[in-house]
Amino acid sequence: MVYFIAKRLIQSVFVMLAVAFLAFSLFRFVGDPITQMTGVETSVADQERLREDLGLNDPFALQFMRFTGDMLQGDFGFSYRTRQPVAEMITKRIPATLELGIVALLISLLVGIPAGVYTALRPRGIVSQAILMATLVGVSIPTFVIGIMLIFFFGVQLSWLPTFGRGGTVSVGGWETSFLTIDGWRALILPAVTLGVYQLTLTMRLVRAEMMEVMRSDYIRFATARGVPMSRLYFKHALANTMVPVITIIGLQFGGVIAFSIVTESVFQWPGMGLLFLESIRFVDIPVMGVYLVVIALFFVLVNLIVDLLYVAIDPRLRIKDVS
Amino acid sequence: MRRTLGKSLLLGSAISLSVLTAQAEEFKWASTTDPQTMDPHAVNSAPVLSFLNNIYEGLVRRGRDMSIEPSLATSWEPLDGENGWRFNLRRDVTFQDGAAFTSEDVMFSYQRASDEAADVRSWFAPVTDVRVVDEYTIDFVTSAPNPLFPSSIANFMILDKDWAMTNDAALPARDAENYATMNVNGTGPFTVASRDPGVKTVLTPHDGWWDEAGHNVTEATFTPIGNAATGLAALLSGEIDFIQPIPLQDVAQVESRDGFKVLEGEETRVIMFGFGHEHETLLYSSDVTDANPFSDPRVRLAAAHAIDLASIDRVLFRGKIEGASQLVPAGISGYSEANSSRPEYDPEKAKALLAEAGYPEGFSFGLKCPNDRYINDEALCRAAASMFAAVGLDAELSTGPVRDYWPQLREDDFDMYLLGWSPGTFDMEHPIRFLMHSQDNERKLGSWNFGGYSNARVDELLPLIQQEIEPATRQALVDEVVAITQEEVAYIPLYTQPLIWAAKDNVDLTQRADNFFMLRWVTVN
Repeated sequence: MVYFIAKRLIQSVFVMLAVAFLAFSLFRFVGDPITQMTGVETSVADQERLREDLGLNDPFALQFMRFTGDMLQGDFGFSYRTRQPVAEMITKRIPATLELGIVALLISLLVGIPAGVYTALRPRGIVSQAILMATLVGVSIPTFVIGIMLIFFFGVQLSWLPTFGRGGTVSVGGWETSFLTIDGWRALILPAVTLGVYQLTLTMRLVRAEMMEVMRSDYIRFATARGVPMSRLYFKHALANTMVPVITIIGLQFGGVIAFSIVTESVFQWPGMGLLFLESIRFVDIPVMGVYLVVIALFFVLVNLIVDLLYVAIDPRLRIKDVS
Repeated sequence: MRRTLGKSLLLGSAISLSVLTAQAEEFKWASTTDPQTMDPHAVNSAPVLSFLNNIYEGLVRRGRDMSIEPSLATSWEPLDGENGWRFNLRRDVTFQDGAAFTSEDVMFSYQRASDEAADVRSWFAPVTDVRVVDEYTIDFVTSAPNPLFPSSIANFMILDKDWAMTNDAALPARDAENYATMNVNGTGPFTVASRDPGVKTVLTPHDGWWDEAGHNVTEATFTPIGNAATGLAALLSGEIDFIQPIPLQDVAQVESRDGFKVLEGEETRVIMFGFGHEHETLLYSSDVTDANPFSDPRVRLAAAHAIDLASIDRVLFRGKIEGASQLVPAGISGYSEANSSRPEYDPEKAKALLAEAGYPEGFSFGLKCPNDRYINDEALCRAAASMFAAVGLDAELSTGPVRDYWPQLREDDFDMYLLGWSPGTFDMEHPIRFLMHSQDNERKLGSWNFGGYSNARVDELLPLIQQEIEPATRQALVDEVVAITQEEVAYIPLYTQPLIWAAKDNVDLTQRADNFFMLRWVTVN
C-alpha cells in the first residue's frame, strides 16, 4: 500500500512537469506582460529594460528551466501584477475554492444520491419524471446563466442572499473559513448550488442507472425472496453495490469542480483560486498562471489517488487481491 | 440622523454613537479592476492613480472640473533667470502617521518617482535638476521653458521620506513587494485601514487632513467586481452604493428602478482609427499587394467619409456619444476651435475619392481592433467594416483582447487599427507628443504613433508648443498642427467615449472626466 502511494506521488511529479511545460509553451500566446504592467506614457526603452530584467527575452527553454528549477527549490516567484509572492497569493485563495467545492460536492451527493435511488425505484412515478425533467434543464443551462439567474432572483428580487463575495470569514490557524459565521454560510449557498448543479445531475443519473441495473440482479431477487426488509435491501445491498462507479466519477468530477470553479467564482466574485487565475490571464501574469496550473495538476493527481484508495475501502474484493 | 447623533452624544453613549455613524456614512463601492499596488510610483495606470489620489496628494491637484488647483503647494511661479518652476509648499501638513510634511519629502519623492524602478518616471523627462530652497520651497529646473509642467504632475504623489526609509521602501518594488506595496502613509483625506488584494480594501478618513473634509464618509469599502452583471446585481441588491463603470446596455435597467441613478458624462478619451502610413504594402489585402493605398491622403479621407457616425451613435451607443474632430474633446486645453468640424458621412464622395486615387473598385485590407478595451469596441469595428464595404473598402476584421493587441500594433501588424486616447496632461500637447510626432524612441516621442505618421512641420511645432507661454501664440501653433493632421487625415477621430457610472439615489458624488473617483466629494444622505 505504501509502495502504491509512493509510486503515485512520484508519478505526480512528472505529471506536474508536463503540465508546467504545456502551460509555459502556451503562455507566449496569451499576450505581452510588459504592456499590461506599464502605463501608456512609459517609454519604449523603459519597457525594453523591464522585459530584459524579467528575463522575457531569454529563450523558451531557459525560461522554463528557471521556472521549474525555482519551483523545485520552493521558490514560486513573484506576481508581475502585484509583486506579491505567488505562493502566498495562491495559498490565501485555496480555502475559498476548496470550501466552495466541498459544499458543492456535498449538495450534489446529499440531493443526488437519494434522488437517484428514488427515481430508480419508482421510474414511472410523476415525481420521478418531474425530477428527471428538472435536472435535464439544470444540466443544459450554462453555469454562468444559472449563477446570474440565482443572483437576480434570490439576491436582487428577494434580497435573501448576498450577490457576491464570501461574506463573513473567520481565520482559523491561517485558514479563512466561511463555515463559522451565518454571513459566511449565506454567501456560500448560491455559488455552491451553481457549482453543484451539474455534479448533482450527474450523480443522480448515475446512481439511478446503476441502481436499476443492480435491482435486476439475481442476488437482489434472492434477498427479496428471503424476506430481507426493503429499506435494508435498498440501502445496504443495492446501494453499496452501485457505489464503485459513482465514486470514480464523483472523484474525477471533484477535480473538475475545483479546476472549473473559475466560472462560478467569476460570476459571484468569489475570491478563490479560479478568480485569481482569471485576473492573471487578463494581466498576463505568467508566474501566477504557471503555479496555478501546476497546483491544479497536483490536485487532480491527489484526487485520483484518494479515489483509488476509496475503492479498496468500498470493494472488499480489491483488498483480497492486494493481500494475495 | 444628525439629531439622533446629537442625542446620543448628549447621552454620552460612545457605543451607540459609533454604531449610528457607521450605519449612516459607511460607503461601499466597486469597480472592475483592483489597484494592483498601493505604491504611488510603481504603476502609471488609471485604476492605481485614481485609487491612490484618495490617500496621497501631489503638489497640485485637479478640481471637479479638472482644473488645476493648489494642493501640497500653495502657489508656484516660473523660476527667475532659468527654466523651471518654484513651488511654495503648504505648512502644517501632516502625513497619516503624524510626521510633518516638508520640502525634503518632495525631494525624496521626486528621486523615487524618477528612478528607473518607477513607472511614472516619464513625467520627469523634462526635469534636469531639483533643488530644495528651504523647508517649504522647492525648485524644479527644466531643460526648456515648460508652462505645462505644474499640471503634468498632478498625479505625482508625495511620500514621507522617513517612513519610506525606515520601512525599506526607498524605491518602488521591482521584483518582490515591499512595504509600500501594501501599506500607505500619505497626506490625503483617507488612509487604508485594511487591504486584501483583489478582494477588499477598507479606507478610513485621515483626521489630520489639512483641507476641510467635504465628504461625510466614516468608512469606505472598495471591492473589485470584474463581471459586469455581478456588479450590477450588487448595486441593485443594495450591497454596494456606487459602481464605475456600468455597461451601456444596463443603463435602462438601472434607470427603471426606484432608488438608483445613472451618472452620464464624457470621458476625455477620443476613439479613432489609425493607418499604417509608413508601410510599403498592405499586409492583409487579397487584391492590392504591391502598394499601400493608405499612404494616399485621398484614400484616408475616403475612409473618413465612409463612416456614418450618426448610425453608430443611435444603434451602438443609444445616442450617448459626441463626434470628435480632433484627438481631444472640446473643453480640453489646446482644443482647436478653428478646426472643429469632422468629415461628414458621404459615401458618394468616398467613392469618388477612391476613384481619383486610382482605386475605383476599392480594395481589401486588414482592420485590427481590441475587444475588451473600449466601450463596444468590437461592435464598433463590425459596424465600421460594413460601412467601409459600402464604398468598396473591404475590411477584413480581426479582434482580440488588449493584452494581445498592443504587441500586434507595436509589431506593425495591421493595415488599419482602432485606438482610444485620453490625454494624460489634459492638454492637446499630449496626443501630439504621443500620436502625431514621428516615432523617435531616443527622444521618447511618438511612442504610440504605431502607423508611423510623420510630418516635418508637426515635428517642428511640438517643441514650440511645449515651450510657448503666451496662450494665443500657443493656440495658433496647436491650430496649425490640428489643421495639418486633419488635412492629411493622420487619424480618423470618431467620438468621445461616454462615461457611465451608477449609484444609489442617496449618494452625491462627482464624476470627473478622467474617470477618477474621489471619495472626498462623496456625501451619503
